Amino acid sequence: MNTFFTIIKSDYLQRTRSYTFLITLCISVAVGYTFIPAPGASYATIQLGEYIGVYNAAWFGYVTAMMSSVFLSLIGFYLINSGIKRDRITQVGQITAATSISNTAYLCTKALSNFAILMTILAVLFGMSIILFFLYSDGYPFDIMQFITPFLFIPVPAIACISILAVLFEMILGKYSVLQNIGFFIVFGFLVSLQSRDSFNTANVDLFGSQVVINAMVDVAQTQITDPDMIELNIGYTIGNKSASKTFIFEGVSFPISYNISRLLWVGGPLLLLCSIAPFFHRFDIKEALRLLPKKYNEEYRKHKRIQIDELAEVTPKIGLYTLYKMELYMLTQNSSKWLWLPTLSIMIAMIFVPITISHQILLPLVWFLQIARIASITSKELTSNVAPFAFASYKPLQRLLTSQLLAAITLLLVLASPLLIRLLINNDSTAVSAILLGALFIISLAAFFGIVTRGKKLFEIVFFIVTYTNMSKLPYTDYFGGLTPAIHHYYILIPIVVVLYVGTYSMRKLEIRRL
Amino acid sequence: MQLDIQNLSKRYGNNYGVKEYSLSMEKGILGLLGPNGAGKSTLLKMIATVSKPTEGTILVNRNNIVKDPNYIRKQLGYLPQNFGVYPNLNAIEFLNYMAALKGIGGPSVKKRIYQLLEGLNLMDAAKKPIGTYSGGMKQRVGIAQALLNNPKMLIFDEPTVGLDPEERVRFRNLISDLANECIIILSSHIVSDIVTIADEVAIMKKGTLVSKGFQEDTIAHVAGRVYEIKIPKDAITTFKKDHTIVSITRKASHVIVRYVGTSVEGATTALPTLEDAYLYLTKN
Repeated sequence: MNTFFTIIKSDYLQRTRSYTFLITLCISVAVGYTFIPAPGASYATIQLGEYIGVYNAAWFGYVTAMMSSVFLSLIGFYLINSGIKRDRITQVGQITAATSISNTAYLCTKALSNFAILMTILAVLFGMSIILFFLYSDGYPFDIMQFITPFLFIPVPAIACISILAVLFEMILGKYSVLQNIGFFIVFGFLVSLQSRDSFNTANVDLFGSQVVINAMVDVAQTQITDPDMIELNIGYTIGNKSASKTFIFEGVSFPISYNISRLLWVGGPLLLLCSIAPFFHRFDIKEALRLLPKKYNEEYRKHKRIQIDELAEVTPKIGLYTLYKMELYMLTQNSSKWLWLPTLSIMIAMIFVPITISHQILLPLVWFLQIARIASITSKELTSNVAPFAFASYKPLQRLLTSQLLAAITLLLVLASPLLIRLLINNDSTAVSAILLGALFIISLAAFFGIVTRGKKLFEIVFFIVTYTNMSKLPYTDYFGGLTPAIHHYYILIPIVVVLYVGTYSMRKLEIRRL
Repeated sequence: MQLDIQNLSKRYGNNYGVKEYSLSMEKGILGLLGPNGAGKSTLLKMIATVSKPTEGTILVNRNNIVKDPNYIRKQLGYLPQNFGVYPNLNAIEFLNYMAALKGIGGPSVKKRIYQLLEGLNLMDAAKKPIGTYSGGMKQRVGIAQALLNNPKMLIFDEPTVGLDPEERVRFRNLISDLANECIIILSSHIVSDIVTIADEVAIMKKGTLVSKGFQEDTIAHVAGRVYEIKIPKDAITTFKKDHTIVSITRKASHVIVRYVGTSVEGATTALPTLEDAYLYLTKN
């Protein structure tokens, strides 16, 4: 048992000692701060028509617990879904495979280490909810149980489930990380769709565990207020709405047994599945085609001619960007599963035929999101593939290499958007065209900057996922491509951000080259 | 081409990776020997412009490449100790990418890539993703990329790691051919590689240059200090405490110990080698 926990601890320490985790933690603090709006803030997170709960301990505890559950389920998967992959790349997996640890125990350590990482973030959010209470509460008494109970029952089982799901996805989809990312996107959408006020049963199939609380909030509000406009409850960020001036008193929920059982099942079910398929885990015995050289190779081995230095073809200097740009573009197309081109091309074709609004609002962010694996690593691949000693000792790496990488990635996004761009140009909609160009510049600058700062692609994947998810939910404030709102007012915000990100990218890469 | 390293230091906090290192050379092969942590890779990284020194200058044809790294980058071939590849690319694609990085082009690049792959025995696997290559094959891809741009200075950090004996011989021959036109600096743990390849040998210890010179000059440090002695097997542990052991040959009833130091009763002098000198200089 001691060994078991030592493995979890080592894995946890390895994964938390990274910029990605640190930045995610900072983002979590920032996001957690917004879970309960300050009095007079121009947004709401949970609201029943014009009503919100009074700022007592129960409201703070339950609202932050529910928001944490959705938030961590959303970003958590992308933060933790590479535990086994890291062991494969670093070849620690092969050493582990040679020890006596069983498949089940190994996979459970991965799930538990995932859980520990998400619990760390949850602990920060828990602390933030208490701080918010003391900042904003209207003189109501502090009751720690109104914080502990909802956090224990709502987000903890949800993140436990996500932790196991991440291992299951890694195990089943192996090295196809792009399929894992997209697969979870679909699964997450499905899980959100399970939430419904109408049925008691759906409350129990709700992974996020918030439906029971929402139902209870509506019920308790109905007993206090007779207002037909109050019935509809909104969860999530409602921006620009200042009408929630009336209050009701929410004192918490007594969770029914069926709910508690469902929370256990959300953890037990995936865990049982994980244990059932653990015997089929590859245990890092992954086929590598050329480990055994073909017979023909061995036969020709000895009769091979040697390099004649004076006979080698003379090369000429070619220091322009074009060749490097072409190679970077080629590498972008190679940097993912071939099968990904199928949905990508399908969406591009659909962009020609569906109404232009759908093409712009839905298909464009979707087709760009499908390229997440390609663009997330544009500036971090030198380090992750350990090619940096070649790349950074090449001729003018800052001016030539980085510029080529950025141009290639922007080209890729614009090519993918080309069916829509052509339609918009035909319609003479230059505003939308420029918004899409700016969107491509923004996403690439974000990927490049995050890649260099975090020396990996995780943070960008998390942020891009959230942004795309909110785009799909038609939230206007993450509309970076001008599909949901008129583009013109975004320019004032987006252009400075893009400029700062590109300046930051070049500056950070300059430092990176010096410090290698 | 002339390389002058003057008072080069690389400091990490209070510790030195390389300390006040000076060296000068023209054409030929310099073999760099030293134990783990001696600073060999740090020194090579600085010459390859991958890492910036804390103090000192590196002059190539009187150009300070610390300030203007691009001067040497066009004429540099560098094989790091630990390097990676883009696993989804095949060898031809990867070398094309490297050529683009190095700023070379033209129709002859493709021909040169094929010649290098053929000469390094990689042609059969040239169109397979490099991710599927064995360690030795990846090492040969690394050697090929170092030779892509017709370099005038070649830096090889542990180049023979992963190569089988036959490939190692092939590499030595290749290096010998190149030495007529280039400066070649290579580090290795394998003293026999240095013996057969290098014109001059530099021995490093704790970031400093302990000795530099032609092999004969380096070996001269231990002239008359290398001995062989026949001792019982159970006496090895005690003997090790007092002497720098070079090798132990086990026989049925006893062991023959080769050591560097002072003569003891029963010991006979032996002809010194570079390995003896290396151990003597780094352990004493």
